[in-house]
Amino acid sequence: MNWTKDRSIVLSQACVVLFAVLLLALDAGSYWIAKWFVQWKFYHWQNGILLIVTICIGSILAWLCLGQLWELLNEIRKGGIFIRENVRRMRIISWCCAGAAGICALSALYYLPFAFVAAAAGFMALIVRIVKNAFEQAIAMKDELDLTI
Amino acid sequence: MEILVNLDVVMAKRKISAGELAERVGITPANLSILKNNKAKAIRFSTLMALCDVLDCQPGDLLEFRRDGEEGRD
Repeated sequence: MNWTKDRSIVLSQACVVLFAVLLLALDAGSYWIAKWFVQWKFYHWQNGILLIVTICIGSILAWLCLGQLWELLNEIRKGGIFIRENVRRMRIISWCCAGAAGICALSALYYLPFAFVAAAAGFMALIVRIVKNAFEQAIAMKDELDLTI
Repeated sequence: MEILVNLDVVMAKRKISAGELAERVGITPANLSILKNNKAKAIRFSTLMALCDVLDCQPGDLLEFRRDGEEGRD
């Protein structure tokens, strides 16, 4: 097996699975996490509910993002790189990150450290968006090259 | 406005088939079809030169510039 191509994609997919397992654990344990959060910080129980809401909404976006990443890696493994479907996937991933950034920014109102997560998610959205723009341009160039006789 | 490739007209005048032209020019029949059907985005000088050589014509015989709403060449 060629390390630089096949194994690298398998490693990326393994990381996606790892994050999916962590996300599943977060979803399953959200109640206990919120309970611990309230007890640890001596917050009101309403903050715990807000944390559960943040986890739930963030989780939906994270599952969508992981699904798109998995499909993107599958497509790359099959050799489909500069295709419009991948651009659509990256657009979804970018919007998921932007959505997560928005939710975390709102969550910073009750727990300030979420502002750092919001900044990180926003920056990730920007990076994915720039890569998506590069892919779009590459597809246009490929189309032109394919039709140059 | 667009650039049209009048390859079929010149081919008919020279009585040459698409398969034979593709073989003599050194391009695939699929690419020749793209050229003939005006689907090509660009043409290399080397391809144009080979076409002119085989069809014994000038680039102007093969290519035509047309503005929007203009009629084609007779």
